[in-house]
Amino acid sequence: MNNLVTERLAVRVMRPESPRQAVSFAKRFRAPYIAGGTWLQPACERDRQWPVQLVALNPDWPGFLGVQETDGGLIIGALTTLDELARHPLTSVYLPPLVGLLNRVAGPGVRNLGTVGGNLLAGGDLSALALALDAEVDVLAGKGTGGRPLVQWCLDRAAGDLLRSVTLPDCRDWRFFVEKLGYRERFSPTRATVACVHNGQQLRLAVCGEGGAGRLVVTEAMLRDQGVRELGDLATVIDSELEALGWQCTQLRLAVCRMLEFGLAEVSLEA
Amino acid sequence: MTLDGDWVRNATSRMDLTPRIEGRLAYTTDQRHLPGLLHGAILRSAHAHARITGVDISRAREMPGVHAVVSAADVPGPNRFGIVIRDQPVFCDERVRYEGDSIAAVAADTPEQALAALDVIEVGYQPLPVVSDAALAEQQVALHNSHEEHGGSNLLARETLERGDLEDAFSRCTVIVEHHYQTPRQMHAFMETEGGVAIPDDNGGVLFRVGCQSGHRDAEQLADILGLAHDQVTVESTATGGAFGGKDELTVQPAAGLLALKTGRPVMIHLDRFESCRTGIKRHPVTVKMTTGCDAAGRLLAHKVEAVLDTGAYASLGPAVLENYLDHATAPLYRIEAYRVSGRLVYTNNGVCGAFRGFGGNQATFAVESQLDALAGKLGMEPSAFRQINLRSPGDAGSRDQTVRWTAPPAEVLAAAVASPLWRCHDAGTGRWLTGTGMAMGAQGNGLGDGLPDSGGGRISLSPAGHICVEFGFSDYGQNIVESIIQSVCNGVGCRETDVEVALGNSRGPDSGPTSASRSSVLVHGVLARILPGWMNLVRGHAAGLSGHPEDRLVFGPGGLYFNDHQVLSYRELAASVNLDELSASASQDFPVAPDAEQPVGRYLQLQIATVARVAVDRLTGRVRVTDLHHVTAAGRVIYPPGYLGQIEGAAVMGQGMALTEDMTTRDGCYLADNLDQYLIPTFHDAPVQRVDVLDSTPEDDPFPIRGVGELGIEAVAPAITAAIEMATGVRIRRLPVDPGDLLVGMAAQEQAL
Ligand SMILES: Cc1cc2nc3c(=O)[nH]c(=O)nc-3n(C[C@H](O)[C@H](O)[C@H](O)COP(=O)(O)OP(=O)(O)OC[C@H]3O[C@@H](n4cnc5c(N)ncnc54)[C@H](O)[C@@H]3O)c2cc1C
Repeated sequence: MNNLVTERLAVRVMRPESPRQAVSFAKRFRAPYIAGGTWLQPACERDRQWPVQLVALNPDWPGFLGVQETDGGLIIGALTTLDELARHPLTSVYLPPLVGLLNRVAGPGVRNLGTVGGNLLAGGDLSALALALDAEVDVLAGKGTGGRPLVQWCLDRAAGDLLRSVTLPDCRDWRFFVEKLGYRERFSPTRATVACVHNGQQLRLAVCGEGGAGRLVVTEAMLRDQGVRELGDLATVIDSELEALGWQCTQLRLAVCRMLEFGLAEVSLEA
Repeated sequence: MTLDGDWVRNATSRMDLTPRIEGRLAYTTDQRHLPGLLHGAILRSAHAHARITGVDISRAREMPGVHAVVSAADVPGPNRFGIVIRDQPVFCDERVRYEGDSIAAVAADTPEQALAALDVIEVGYQPLPVVSDAALAEQQVALHNSHEEHGGSNLLARETLERGDLEDAFSRCTVIVEHHYQTPRQMHAFMETEGGVAIPDDNGGVLFRVGCQSGHRDAEQLADILGLAHDQVTVESTATGGAFGGKDELTVQPAAGLLALKTGRPVMIHLDRFESCRTGIKRHPVTVKMTTGCDAAGRLLAHKVEAVLDTGAYASLGPAVLENYLDHATAPLYRIEAYRVSGRLVYTNNGVCGAFRGFGGNQATFAVESQLDALAGKLGMEPSAFRQINLRSPGDAGSRDQTVRWTAPPAEVLAAAVASPLWRCHDAGTGRWLTGTGMAMGAQGNGLGDGLPDSGGGRISLSPAGHICVEFGFSDYGQNIVESIIQSVCNGVGCRETDVEVALGNSRGPDSGPTSASRSSVLVHGVLARILPGWMNLVRGHAAGLSGHPEDRLVFGPGGLYFNDHQVLSYRELAASVNLDELSASASQDFPVAPDAEQPVGRYLQLQIATVARVAVDRLTGRVRVTDLHHVTAAGRVIYPPGYLGQIEGAAVMGQGMALTEDMTTRDGCYLADNLDQYLIPTFHDAPVQRVDVLDSTPEDDPFPIRGVGELGIEAVAPAITAAIEMATGVRIRRLPVDPGDLLVGMAAQEQAL
């Protein structure tokens, strides 16, 4: 039966009783998960491609909601909304720049519904910071459950993988630089978001945006080996690594290079 | 005088603006309670350019809930509309020329059923080559067959304005600058998308309640299309959620009217944002080459302009936009010895362009003001000093040798801008954010322009409830013209605001002409100045008869007429005592044009603005933030401060959008953005701090002390912003919207050169 309002087939929303059942539904029906729906809905509407089934995720499932302090760092449930994360007292303790960044993600309506998991899965603004922090993800997959680095999951994620939570290391005395380049001050899709993190010993860099999300491991290696050297060299390395990651637009690469150079100077200055 | 918050608070303290602010005001598209209402939907073209090989609506007719399906064969009158040239089909049957072209329409019980029926309409297309580059359009296949109208080419109109011996003037120039400029296809992005309802009456006629800008003109076109007598069509333009020129042309009315007549029931069509983006009119993109020269002292001698305007698939108001573009490209504020300003308006498959706040003028001003900065730079002169040398004086003729009425000397406007606190801070900054200030000036003529019939009327009467009822044909689409009218009536009569009732936008009422071209306030004031004295005498005479007091001692006041400071008759008592038709008056006037020219030239009533912009440019990314705008305006007397302020500030933010983010780009004739999450207008966080100053030296007895400010605020914003960017970074941008990437590359090149 056609759902006539949006010219799409009626979508069947499945409401599994447990995360396990969610994974099994997702695999069996090849159905995507839906959290806040703020990314999924406009993406489907624009492409005029609607899934036949959706698997609704339930924030009442243990571990999927909220922010928790543990010995290993901060665990953020995947269904925590962006707004909840921004308001949570632990966020400003652990990651003060995140509050400012979240304020620049979409608008209040989207932040109210949009979730941390959905943002990471859609390569949203949080990805760069999470990658640079070397976040761990707790994923329920067909074969089992477990923690693994986000960087790795980004590379080998399988359809049906269900993200339960993200763990950030205890980064209270780390230094950060996070910057978003949008088209306007607010309510702009990200063109490029960059993150530089210094944990006292090591620098980590990551980007997300128009060219895709990723850690700049080559640049990091160069910095590890040689320190923050002649900026000219650094810019060349960043530029070619971005290009290899899929960042085609040379002008945007130039902007990302300059943001990273600036960020590196900021986090290294204080070191 | 600076218009600040106090002005607004004082003027609005007694008004209930909450419904407007909260979006609860009932707009045209909110009329969903009408008994028997059906919902219409329009099938749009699947191609930017194609021959139609067949349209089969038979399956759609059988769909559940469907009451009627109409296509080209169902149009009883001419299957064409358009304000200047009727070249746009109501429904295409041979050829589609843009991806918003209509092919058929359906009325059904629910919007969902109407959309489902559209899905089963079968259209055969044979794609044709797409004309997408305006510069090459004249060499490509003609989009319109008619040789008589378009000479068999995509050149819709061509015009040249000339003055003096250009070659000689160029030969005497010490400095000549030549640059190309490009401005974007901007979208109106009104709050309420196009829509309204068509309601059939018992006599075969139709009443339209729609968002529109000219009820009378629309009624005429609609009567023709529907094959009805003109008096069988009525248009009521009730409160409309924004227009800015985008509702000047017919939108959903022809389809809604045909469906209403076919079904005998009211039909509502309301475009969603996707359809509005795809089908709605846009601002003309312009590419122009400008060559301008001056002598060693900075006196402008020669100016040559060659512009191409892309009007898209249909003419709409394109020819008038071209004319206004050219007028502004003559640099109306400045004395130039000789110029040749020419422009070509071409058809393409890139959507449809038409009226938009500024109406071509601001596109031209962007280039003209940038040229002046370039010349000043070459001479090593301050941009303001360069302008000072060339500005016209109040006694001078206009750029087209017409008589001009300014409301303040241009030099005073410039001096006030130079005195702006913004203009005085010139630091470029050395940290991440580079700051700069720029300034530009602009002139704006009120009225429709050259040669177009431009007149308007109004009516005043007493309502049975005892209100002073004033009627005009204008539409209220957010500018709150009602308040300006109330203020004018209160000032003229001496009554209080609650005594006045304003009725707008009914095509059965007085024809005031379109609500466009910053003309409404001028006409409201002019018409009221004509009718109020006579009408007040009429009422006084009648009151004298009723009260026994001498006519010449009766005074209008709050609530009624007074004798020796005592109210002797209320307006209600007066209304009850007479046949109300006897106490009414109406008048109409031609829009003031330059009186001395052989052929009347518009731009007689001239307004001016100088905008000072301050920007911060991110050295890392090239992103531009406009932090402050200071406008010095000379636009006549301020009758309603919130309206004046709102128009200037609102238009300026629109100009900022055009300068920085807004462009409806196309690929192969198809828009690349389809909604407001891709087409990016400024948000509250992007809006700068603004200050609006008013200079007004119109004499007390000036016949035209009130001017329209609907477009003035957009005039000089873009060149002021690009001048500020240049001040901050050393890079001059000549293509709008400013591409941060281009700017960054320019900045990096500058750094390398250091
Ligand atoms: C107008 C607008 C502006 C926006 N602006 C921004 C912006 O500035 N910056 C930005 O980063 N983003 C932006 N977004 C994108 C996005 O909506 C948000 O970032 C949001 O966080 C997505 O979360 P969600 O819960 O709504 O995801 P959904 O739409 O529900 O899901 C997104 C994707 O993730 C998958 N998914 C969701 N949760 C899980 C999970 N737990 N495990 C596995 N898969 C999962 C879904 O299957 C889907 O593929 C914007 C969106 C809109 C509509």
